[in-house]
Parts: sequence; structure tokens; C-alpha cells
Amino acid sequence: MSWLKPPNVTSVKEKLQKLPTPPKPKFPEEPPPGPTQPTFWKSPLRGPWMTSIIGSALLPLVIICAITGFLSHAAYNPALGDNSFFPAGGIGIDPYFFSWPTRPTFLYAFTQGSHIIAGCLAIPILFAKLWSVMPKLFEWPPLRSVAHMAERISLALLVGGALFVFFTGLLNIQVYYPWKFSFVPSHYYAAFVFLAALALHVSLKFPTIRKAYRERGVVKPLQDDLEHTVPEPYDEMTTTALEPSAPTISRRGLLLTVGGASAGIGLMMSGQVIGGPLRKIALLAPRGRQPNSGPNGFQINKTAATAGIEPSKTGAGWRLKLVGATKAELSREQLLAMPQYTYDLPIACVEGWSTTQSWTGVRLKDLADAAGTPGASEVLVQSIQEFGSFNKATLSSGQIADEQSLLALKVNGVDLSPDHGYPARVIVPAMPGVHNTKWVRQMTFQEA
Amino acid sequence: MTRFRSLYGASPLHLLAVIASFAIAGYGFLRIFDSPAPESTMLFFIAAVFMHDMLAFPLYSGLNQIATRSAGPKANYWLSEQMVQPLNYIRIPAVLSAFCLLLFFPLIFRLSADRFMANSGESADVFLTRWLGIVAVLFTVSALLYAIRLRRASQKAAAEDADRAADDD
Repeated sequence: MSWLKPPNVTSVKEKLQKLPTPPKPKFPEEPPPGPTQPTFWKSPLRGPWMTSIIGSALLPLVIICAITGFLSHAAYNPALGDNSFFPAGGIGIDPYFFSWPTRPTFLYAFTQGSHIIAGCLAIPILFAKLWSVMPKLFEWPPLRSVAHMAERISLALLVGGALFVFFTGLLNIQVYYPWKFSFVPSHYYAAFVFLAALALHVSLKFPTIRKAYRERGVVKPLQDDLEHTVPEPYDEMTTTALEPSAPTISRRGLLLTVGGASAGIGLMMSGQVIGGPLRKIALLAPRGRQPNSGPNGFQINKTAATAGIEPSKTGAGWRLKLVGATKAELSREQLLAMPQYTYDLPIACVEGWSTTQSWTGVRLKDLADAAGTPGASEVLVQSIQEFGSFNKATLSSGQIADEQSLLALKVNGVDLSPDHGYPARVIVPAMPGVHNTKWVRQMTFQEA
Repeated sequence: MTRFRSLYGASPLHLLAVIASFAIAGYGFLRIFDSPAPESTMLFFIAAVFMHDMLAFPLYSGLNQIATRSAGPKANYWLSEQMVQPLNYIRIPAVLSAFCLLLFFPLIFRLSADRFMANSGESADVFLTRWLGIVAVLFTVSALLYAIRLRRASQKAAAEDADRAADDD
């Protein structure tokens, strides 16, 4: 019955100790000349406190971007119809947990505006963060252990992920696409890489941050003017300089410069989200202007010409096809003869701009009734526009049932202009802008 | 435990955190490989790893060195005794202008002007002018602040000279 005996613990231990030690990577003890030399880096401001304070400013902005980014994904109701343009076959961890609500009406303008503003605010701070840790890139020896190697690989994912996510977003809001990939899935899934590496980084660096704040105080170093700015004491394991040069700017001066850049850019971006008189300060924001005068003069996403909407298809012969339990075709006059409702609702674009206008039209739930499908579970709205990713959208039962959800025929008291979707367009509270299909030709209601 | 540390270089908790992080990052990459043009995504991802460290950093630190040498503390021979360094009155508006350019260069340089027009019905012509306007305002304000600082410093120096002259009497 020897197999019942407990294993001989001492012998296992002995065996483990006899295992050969894995070969450590061999690097010369003396770093080669250049940036690996501790005397190469001269900035008197670099150090654990500086990196901690910049990181502490950056982290909340990244968290806002992450939360609002996942919310934006949910706002498109990706589980319905063909709404998702993500590759098939995810393993089910994408957050499709809830149906996007219709209240408050400014919900998507708020979440997506926050996404874009926080992302723009973060970029100058991210550059400051990268500046502050530059010496670490050249630390010597470059690899100390397996753990150190894993950490450095993760840092490459962190830096690459951060810059990829921020810059693809930034170029997307300026409709500049110097690449072949599709923006949405690449931006979204690179964020998984970025956030995974960030979570590891923050957990591993937490003790360093705590130590820096304990030793120097969180905001105390900000009290020093240039004359009183002294370098953090040298420690070869940190980014402090062995032979720092004389400071040419105080810590608060540096942080105010970066923070000022960030705040100025954030202010410009908030102008195109909040609109009204604030839009005047949105100097460099893509949608900082009032494109035209008059009731239809507000911002456009995709002009009728670009969408290939021929006037012959939107003239007197246009009919709205309703498909449900029954079928119906309605002319614009017949739609105008139905009960009309007027609501002030924002159009909020995924690109982070929004504009609130007064829309008049027929309630979606009245159209569901007209199609013989009261209480419809979803509706597929299709546009006259033949090509393009957003020539159709599927809306949820909650979006159909909301009393402010309209098929708009007029805006600000006049007929919609061709660029804003004449003869009819959808406008649903809190829904992403592009799902408010323009130049509607057919609505297909699903029974509950 | 010590054995683990000598093999791995950190605590087992570190290893668990690394594995968890790599697993999520791996999921992100898997999904990228299922998306359109993954090679293009990877190319831009790798470019992003090097964008700051190999491109932006050498550029701005080089410019900073030039600025520091020509207007920093060691370049004061051409300044009078007032010792007001012009360095930050150059660097700060330059940094602010550079960040505006970094964030909005596609619009400023009209890199996507056609698509911008097709989407919005608006011209992208205004952004270069607006950016130049912002640069002009930033440097003008900075120059004014510098002039005020210089004047105050020279007044202070004159007052000190007068005091010294009075003491000598």
C-alpha cells in the first residue's frame, strides 16, 4: 500500500533545488554610451512624483473614455438586426447587457460628448506622461528577469494601445483615414489591449505612486516656484537624473502648460457638444461652425448629394412603405394628415458633436399601429440611400414606444431640407445620430 | 517562495496579474484579426508604439535643447542684468501651438478636405487660418507678458541702483 503514503516532501524540495537555474540574459554591467547611461538624462523635473501626478490626471480621463466608449457601443443596440458591424464570433463578453434608453433625451449627446472631450483632454497629458518616463525605455540592464520582460512587453502594449486608440479616434472625428482597417472594430478591440495593459500597469505601479505621494505630498511640490524647484533625489531604479541640469521651469509651470493645452482643447471641443453661443469658441473643433443660415442651417452628417439621393426618388411619387401584420403605403400628404407632434431633440453624432432642433412629425408608435403591429418588438428602417454603412438601422421596442420618437417631416417649422432627410427622417431621443435614418423609404415592424 | 522569486523575478501575484492582463489583451488581438484588414491595424499599432519615443520625443527634445541653448540660463550674456529669461515665453506658446497642431493636423492641412465636405457640406479651408490665428494670439500675449516682466525688472534694477547711489552719498 505504498501508494497511500504521502509524498516525501523533503525529496520534492530537494529535487526542485537541484533543477538548474534558468540562464539569465547576460548584459555587460556597464551600459553602452548613449541614452542607457544614467548621466544622459538631465531633466531635474523627472521623478516618481512627477510621473505619479501626471498619471493621476490621466487615469480619470481614460476611465471616462472607457466607460463612455462601451456605452456608445451599447447605444447602437448591436444585438438588433444588422446594427453591429463587428466581426461575428465574439466569445460573448462584449457588453450587450441592456437596451439603450430614450431618457434623458440628451443621454447620447452627453456620453459621446464626454468620450470625445475626455479623449482630446487626455492627449497632451499622455504626451507629458510619456515624456516623464522616457529614461525607463533605456534602463540598464534592459531585461532583469522573466517578470521584468513580461512587464516591458505589457508596457509596449500600453503605449501602443494608448496612442492607437487616442489617435484613431482623433482622426475619425476629422474623417481622415490613412489606413485600410475599419475604424470601429479596430478602435474598440485595441481598447481591450490598452485597458488590459493599463490595469496591470496601475496595479504594479500603485506602491510607487503611494510612496511618491507619502514622501513628497500630493500637491506640495506645486507650491515651489522656479527658485525653490529642486530635483527629486536620485535613485537608479527611477526616472530621476543622476546629474540633473538647473531647472528652467517649475513643476507647476510644466503642469500648467500641459494642463492649459489640455483645457484649451477641451474647451474648443465642448463648444461643438454644448452648442449655442459656446460653438463660437470651438475654433478648431471639426463641427464648430453653423454651416448655413435658416431653419435647416444646422450641422449635416452626409449630404444628400454624397448619399446619392436623386430628387426623382423624393418627389411627389415618394411613398413610405410600412410592413408589419399588414402592409401600407403612405404619401407625404397622408403622413401630414396624421396627428403631428413637435419635440426639441438633439442629434448627437458619434464624432462628438451635437445640435438640438425642434422636430415635427408622426409618432413611430402610430406608424406601428398603421402597419397593424401595435407594440412592435423592433423596426427595421431603410433609406433611399443605396450604399453606405448607415442606410438602415434597427430600433428597439422601447425606442418605437417612446412618445417623442418621430418620423420627422419638418424641422423648426419648415419642411426638412434634402440634406436633413426630406421627405422624412427618423428622430428618436438619446439615439446615436446615424441611427436616425434619413430619406426613409420603408419601415418593417416585427410583432412582439 | 524564494525559489519562485529567483526563477520568475517577482511574486506569484505579479505572475497572475500578468497572465490576466495578457489574456484580455490577447482577446483584443484575436478580435482584431477577425476584423477587416488586420495587417493594417497591426502596422498602425506597431507605429503607435514608436510614435512618441522614436519620432515625437527626439523632435521636441531637440527643439527644446536649441531653445534652451539660445534663450536659457546659459545664454544670458546678451541680456542686461535684469536676468529675465525669455525661454519660457517662447516655449510655452510653442507647446500650446504644437498641441493644437498635433490634435487637428488633418483639418489644418486639409488632409481629408474632400471627405469632410462630402460628410458635412462644410469646407475645411478655415482651420489653417484659425490655427495660425491661435498661434499669433498665443505668441503676442506671451511677448506682452515678457515685455511687462522686462520693464518691471529694469525698474527694480534702476531703483536698486538709486538706493545704492543714495547709500554711497
